Amino acid sequence: MDEEDEREFSKSIVFGFLEQAEQTFTKMDAAMKDKNLAELSSLGHFLKGSSATLGFTKVKDECEKIQHYGHKKNETGESDEPDEDKCLRLIGESIAEAKRAYEVVNSLMKQFYAEA
Amino acid sequence: MLEDPSYSSVVRWGDDGESFVVLENEKFTKSILPKHFKHSNFASFVRQLNKYDFHKVRQNNEEGGSSIYGANAWEFRHPEFKANSKDSLDNIRRKAPAPRKPSNLSDDQISIQQIDLMNQQIVAQAQQIESLVQTTGQLQMNHQMVVQELLRLQKTVVNHDRVMQDVMTFLQSVDAKQRRDSKSLFAPQADGPATSTTLTPTSQNMPGSEEDVPASPLQHAAKLLNEIKPDGQFNMAGLEQMNMHTTTTPVSQDPRNAQFRGSNSATSSGSMGFVKMNPNDMDAIVYPMGSTNGIDPMYSEHINNIPYPMPSRDTQDPRAQFADTRKKSGLPDPGWRRPPRILLVEDDPTCRQIGGKFLYSFSCVVDCALDGLEAVSKMQEGIKYDMILMDIIMPNLDGVSACHIIRQFDRTPIVAMTSNIRSDDIQMYFHHGMDDVLPKPFTRKSLLDMLEKHLMHLKKMPQGMDGQQPTSGAMGASGGPSSSGQSVRDDMSAGTSPAGSSGAWNSPSQYSGVSPVNPNMHFPGIPQQQLQQQQFVDMTGNTFQTGPQTPMGMRQGVMQQQAQRRGQAEMGGGNDMGGANKRQRIYAPQQSMAAPMR
Repeated sequence: MDEEDEREFSKSIVFGFLEQAEQTFTKMDAAMKDKNLAELSSLGHFLKGSSATLGFTKVKDECEKIQHYGHKKNETGESDEPDEDKCLRLIGESIAEAKRAYEVVNSLMKQFYAEA
Repeated sequence: MLEDPSYSSVVRWGDDGESFVVLENEKFTKSILPKHFKHSNFASFVRQLNKYDFHKVRQNNEEGGSSIYGANAWEFRHPEFKANSKDSLDNIRRKAPAPRKPSNLSDDQISIQQIDLMNQQIVAQAQQIESLVQTTGQLQMNHQMVVQELLRLQKTVVNHDRVMQDVMTFLQSVDAKQRRDSKSLFAPQADGPATSTTLTPTSQNMPGSEEDVPASPLQHAAKLLNEIKPDGQFNMAGLEQMNMHTTTTPVSQDPRNAQFRGSNSATSSGSMGFVKMNPNDMDAIVYPMGSTNGIDPMYSEHINNIPYPMPSRDTQDPRAQFADTRKKSGLPDPGWRRPPRILLVEDDPTCRQIGGKFLYSFSCVVDCALDGLEAVSKMQEGIKYDMILMDIIMPNLDGVSACHIIRQFDRTPIVAMTSNIRSDDIQMYFHHGMDDVLPKPFTRKSLLDMLEKHLMHLKKMPQGMDGQQPTSGAMGASGGPSSSGQSVRDDMSAGTSPAGSSGAWNSPSQYSGVSPVNPNMHFPGIPQQQLQQQQFVDMTGNTFQTGPQTPMGMRQGVMQQQAQRRGQAEMGGGNDMGGANKRQRIYAPQQSMAAPMR
């Protein structure tokens, strides 16, 4: 989608995303402390949309899971998962996953735009 | 009677004066009773006596058994009934004398009365109930009929809408294709001065003739569609309102509607809320400009419903400008006849940026709303868009609700942008008035496809534009004049009909809106500008060319227009066969004509 002279644009988007992801993770951690499932779900949805748009599918997948767990569903959102503690635990795992994926993306992107 | 001596052998006072004696039953009955009691029934006479508490004096308590008055004699006695004491007669009452019996009697009578009363009441109530039942039944029937009628209407309207849109889309695609074909055939001739001069008169005559003969089948259809549309919309609105009343909070909606109407008429003077727009008005507005421009503006017109320059342009301009200043080189230009205005409703900055970026690259003018609430208020301000891209899950007001509200007063295509694309989700989106779903994450192509699908009416043939590229340098010269020409046209058209100004509404929004801020824009002749120029010409070609006061500086521009309009001009020439109202046929000869010239 990028023209040669428009790498700046995609760069701004990507870095915008990276920054946004950092903030979202911070918020997620706070919500984990509060055990606020609804907040976690909406944060998951939020980050899911942007990561999906940029094609960071690993991050997106984890965010989707977080969204579902937050709704007290299983990871595909198809069946209910009434156990809140279990949901929280699963969300914790997914957040960790998402952060790992994010770190990969982060370094790759910074590398890419540094070269370009 | 008892004292009458002539009766004494039949009936007389008893010996002691405390009773009376009927001596001869038969005679008494036959001769005396009729005279005094209007009947001749001894038994009833006795009954009457009993009622007044006379008692028959028993005879057999005496020794010897036989009565002193004879065997057949009936002796009656009453405590108050005495010879020579008429005063005591007053004490002889029907009910009073016997305490037990009279009370019984009165009880009976009371209860009888009560029963009567109750019977009457019951009967009355029964009647009432019956009538109520009847009424209820009737109401139920009526209600069912109405509901069925409503459902039927709704279905009909929806089907109509769909059919109409399908038909229009199809026709437009056919039309666009044909025009593109013809244009591509004619484009190369732009360089030949001879052809262009010969064509000049035609192209100038053309708009007039076309104005006289406006109804190509497509235009006709669009006109019909326009006439139908307001009604359909009204029905839909009504039904939705009904739905709303049953399902969601009606209070919040109605004021919005009202507010929309109010603000609309307030902000853009002379514009009418489309709600009030009747088919005739619609017709009057759309017709004149449609006659020269072909079908597409009309179509966009009726989609947008408010054919006036929108007051809120200022909010759009910076972004529009931004879009224009972006370099488009190397990007395949989708070729709009004017830049589509897109409202991007998205809370996520990344999606918004990407989406906006894509849209810019498609030469769209993008306006953004951060949530459903902002989108709704933008719509209520009366800003017109060609399409709305709507995220679903957003803070404040989600996309579905926003769509639902917007649908109360506007038919702009709304495309849901979401990753929730389960079939029941999608069902729900459509149910609330969304026109399509763009699954997230979307690609550049899927977005472009979506645009082209819903903005078919804005498509322009790219070949014609390419043909003009060489002369783009001259555009700088024509840039200034053309805006003056535009003002000329504005003056002219504003005087004549609102439709004229609706034609103008496209150009000022991008044109005069942009040029003051960024005057250089005109000179590079970047494709975007080309596009606008083209669009300007197309939209306004009529007044432009018929206006005799066109400055000479515009010559270049006019030439270009001629080149560009040649397709239409030829069409107009070919159309001399008499406004046969068959555009398809018009094209055929044109193309055959064009081939040899090439």
